[in-house]
Amino acid sequence: MKHLFKPETRKRGLRFLGVILFVKIIWVLISLVWLPSVDLDEAKKQDSTALYYRVKLTPSEASAPRKETRPTRSSGTINDIRLLAIYHASDITVITVEYKRKTKVLETGESINGFTLEGASNAFARFSKAGKSYQVKLVKNAKQSSTNSTIRDADKDVKKSIDSAPQGEVRDVGDYKIIDRSLFDHYAKNMDDIYKNIGIAEVKKGNNVVGFKVNFVRRNSPFAKLGIKRNDVIKSINGQALTSYAAAMDVYKNMKDVANLSVVILRGKEEMELEYEIN
Amino acid sequence: MQMVKKYLLWLFVLWFAFLFFMPKPELYYALERELAKQDIKLNESSIEEGVLYLTIRDVKVYVKGIELAKIESIHFFTLLGYSSVELKQVEVDDLLKSKVPKNIEKVFASHNIFSPFSLSLDANGSFGVAKGRLSLVDNNVSVKLVEANDIDTLKPFMKQDEEGWYYEASF
Repeated sequence: MKHLFKPETRKRGLRFLGVILFVKIIWVLISLVWLPSVDLDEAKKQDSTALYYRVKLTPSEASAPRKETRPTRSSGTINDIRLLAIYHASDITVITVEYKRKTKVLETGESINGFTLEGASNAFARFSKAGKSYQVKLVKNAKQSSTNSTIRDADKDVKKSIDSAPQGEVRDVGDYKIIDRSLFDHYAKNMDDIYKNIGIAEVKKGNNVVGFKVNFVRRNSPFAKLGIKRNDVIKSINGQALTSYAAAMDVYKNMKDVANLSVVILRGKEEMELEYEIN
Repeated sequence: MQMVKKYLLWLFVLWFAFLFFMPKPELYYALERELAKQDIKLNESSIEEGVLYLTIRDVKVYVKGIELAKIESIHFFTLLGYSSVELKQVEVDDLLKSKVPKNIEKVFASHNIFSPFSLSLDANGSFGVAKGRLSLVDNNVSVKLVEANDIDTLKPFMKQDEEGWYYEASF
């Protein structure tokens, strides 16, 4: 019988195949023992594929989500409007009112909640709605800065006096604080500046982030004026639970347009809600 | 001489088989898992495998769940004695704009067997052209700006000598 190949060539060919097979087997073994066969996302999908559905008919053991205990106010009445300050000029009257925890500056003719400002004396402001006239008295015991609680008669620079709060201030107006918009925008754009003033680190329960702990607050910084203290754990901001870095970053990225901030913190064992208005 | 040629041929066969059968996607998955331990996640749209390379396209880089960068492609290449990684069109999130150039056209890192404990680095982008070296012995990285364009945001992290701007860091 005649061979197709010379014995020497056949021997070489077999050796060649042997080497290739050897290398292939080595890689297969390495792959089986050490290397994953699917990427991380795929592996997670595979892990999470349920072969059956578990139905639990008993009430859930998990506690019901905590409802925000925000005071609800009836809307549409003149009583919702608090008059905080009145400014008179020769050609214009401007008032500062508080409505639904927001302060707003109104000129004559402007409206809030359907009530149009008609004018103001030194002690009250006059509004009209649907042909009816309403009077709102100036709040004298409001916990505000003196610039807001006193009546001013200034013929010049009325607008300037409205914006008398220094740029970048945090003002305490009682049960909530007002953050100057320019200050807020500055921190919303410059994350590095936040870390110069406040140190935050994740708090984990097992593998899950349950909040962010304040490790330090720089003295006299705007953050100290926010009422946040060392060892507070920030649980949520504007209803968004801070259960991951991504969630925290989402809140940060969407901060530019918010008008109010509601921060739920854990101080010791007490859960508190800090309210801020961006103005 | 014939004997040497024969051994070299077998060595070549062994080397080629080693590269040919290398489970490149699986090695990449292993890299993904290692990075995941550091809370870094890579999310790619496609993986392209060649005899000597692996290209990953449209990669999103997440650090602690935050999307920090988008990379058009990552190209891994190896000849065993020489390996390289090339990142093209790295777009960094605004969050890092004060630390990292927003647009990096190319980052190229290579390693060769003659200098086993160091990596050579090249990059170019809006900041200019940079060349550098990462030393695994000294645990440091030094990058020199050969051509500096828009580096205002980077200056706080860089030093300057008579030859220009450079960056140095230890790890």
